[in-house]
Amino acid sequence: MKNPFRGFSAILYKEFLVVLRDPLTLFFMLFPPLIEMIAFGYALDNDVKHMATVVLDEDRTVESRQIIERFVNTDTFRVVGEVRSVGELAAEIRRGHAYVGLQIPPNFTRDLRAGRNARVQMLIDGSSSTIAGSALNTAVGVAFRESVVTLLGETGRRDLPFEIRPQILYNPAMRSPNFFVPGVIGVVLQIATTFATAMSLVRERERGTLEQLLVSPLSRWGLMLGKLIPYLCIALFMATGLYAIMHWLFDVPIAGSFPALMVATFVYIFCLLSLGLLISTRAQNQMQALQMSMIFIMPSVFFSGFIFPRETMPAIFWWVGACLPTTYFIELARAIILRGATLADFWTHLVTLVGMGAGLFALCVFRFRQKIG
Amino acid sequence: MPDTMIQCENLTKRFGHFTAVDHVSFSVAKGDIFGFLGPNGSGKSTVIRMLCGLLEPSEGRATIGGFDVAKETDRIKSLIGYMSQKFSLYDELTVHENLQFYGRLYGLSGAALKKRYDELIALTHLEPYLTRRASLLSGGWRQRLAMACSLVHQPQVLFLDEPTAGIDPVARRELWDLLFEFSSNGITLFVTTHYMDEAERCSHVGYIYLSKLVVCGEPDALKRLPSVNPPGTRRLDVTCEHVTTGLKAVRKLEGVQAATVFGQSMHLLVSDALPEQALRDELARVGIPQADVRPIAPSLEDVFVALTNERENGAAK
Repeated sequence: MKNPFRGFSAILYKEFLVVLRDPLTLFFMLFPPLIEMIAFGYALDNDVKHMATVVLDEDRTVESRQIIERFVNTDTFRVVGEVRSVGELAAEIRRGHAYVGLQIPPNFTRDLRAGRNARVQMLIDGSSSTIAGSALNTAVGVAFRESVVTLLGETGRRDLPFEIRPQILYNPAMRSPNFFVPGVIGVVLQIATTFATAMSLVRERERGTLEQLLVSPLSRWGLMLGKLIPYLCIALFMATGLYAIMHWLFDVPIAGSFPALMVATFVYIFCLLSLGLLISTRAQNQMQALQMSMIFIMPSVFFSGFIFPRETMPAIFWWVGACLPTTYFIELARAIILRGATLADFWTHLVTLVGMGAGLFALCVFRFRQKIG
Repeated sequence: MPDTMIQCENLTKRFGHFTAVDHVSFSVAKGDIFGFLGPNGSGKSTVIRMLCGLLEPSEGRATIGGFDVAKETDRIKSLIGYMSQKFSLYDELTVHENLQFYGRLYGLSGAALKKRYDELIALTHLEPYLTRRASLLSGGWRQRLAMACSLVHQPQVLFLDEPTAGIDPVARRELWDLLFEFSSNGITLFVTTHYMDEAERCSHVGYIYLSKLVVCGEPDALKRLPSVNPPGTRRLDVTCEHVTTGLKAVRKLEGVQAATVFGQSMHLLVSDALPEQALRDELARVGIPQADVRPIAPSLEDVFVALTNERENGAAK
């Protein structure tokens, strides 16, 4: 009976030594994800706070200063300067010194006291729709609140006729990192791991050591598994580090069980490493391996739901997303980290990932030719 | 023939429209040192790769120890050792680790691995370098390590693809001493090389030119071939001063069929009708009064030049 994993332990021994001896590969596997994680984590922050605001107060009364105070108290606006004309107000926004311009007209207090409609003008920089939307929502909220308080005072009623009591589950502060960071981990893991295995086999092809392996009785399963396991260990180590950063640097607690999260991570990494090996069975040199890896990485960034919700995508991109392991991992990771879901709750995601991993690994074993040329 | 180790019959490899190896047939007996010669790109490495089961022949077949290289690849793997052109070693690993890896790859472990490891280290004298990384070894020692790695499973046939390319002369000679030692232990060696002096050391040689095997046999038998020694001609070695001037002069003589410089002398292929005195007279005429003329046997280089010319002339007609 022929051992299907013949030569596995030899490859494992060799691969661990090669990986650990090659500080450059190790560095490029571990360092960029760390930087990407921190950079992405900070950059992908939708929370708009303390927007630079310039004020044109033509009224100069206690009331006008009070209304400015109300805006600042929302934490959304931060007064960076006062101007003297409407022209200057617009110019400050154009020059990029401020996102918002607040103009209080001369007769503001008079209108307010007389019970007339008192108007405050707000200029918002619409270049970024997210920032503009946030500024608009907050401003409307402030105006609405002030109006209601005034009306209540006039009618003598003590409380609102109708009120909604929202309770935001799982991310009560509605912080962006809680949503983005688990996705960033999914994407960052993919970049590091797919390249690593794709390169490792192609490098042997380029150096000619692959020929030496092919004339030996080494089996395909033995070769592939021996190549995969060292990188699996490194990637799991890396993932643990990324979760630590998530917890302590971005302050995103893991609501669910950490072992469950690591099981999901393990299966996901296995998928990615198999994908890398699959690439290496076809790529003839490192350049090709690099380009082929990019083909898989780009869609994972855009169509996995990492930044843009998949529900709003055109059907074709939704289906592209449905073919990517990253999609399932990100959904699974968010469920476990943010909502404290169990693997049983998301067993379909886990089974899909296991299936993808097993399929990709089998595919790369069968597609690997034990001949050259 | 029970002692035939390698047998090729019409072995052919095509890459698209290009025929890299064209109906090559030869056999190598057990214990032979078979030298496989030919210019770059003539198909030497392609033949080796087919024999090692790395490439599928397009046509024809080859057997090693009676096993078909294309159909019974798994059977031949334990019979053969292969040292590729680049001495494929893992640069990150030390000498010790490289040998350990190849030993395990071939299924050795424990005491068996230890025993074989010690044997190979003793054979190749690698012990001072055990902890050195392969990337830091000089060419000669890299090659020794590569050889030790390819012998780890005690193969019956060892394929060496240009083992002496880029190696200093001392290392080259030591390598050949090693090869003779293997050969005396019954290992069959299949060596490709560019060096004619290495070819002279082989028990059998084959010469491949433009994808076709031009000739194959024992060096001495090849030197006696009629096409190498055309009837009515003889080979002379002429030692004199100003060899290049002399060469130009004698080339013009009728009856001189080929003339090449060989260090301080020239090798001529002249017709029997041309007397030795005519050569001396011609050399004296161009200012070379003294010349030492003696008959010589053809070298392997002469053999390959003669056969290549014959083939090209044959193709031209």
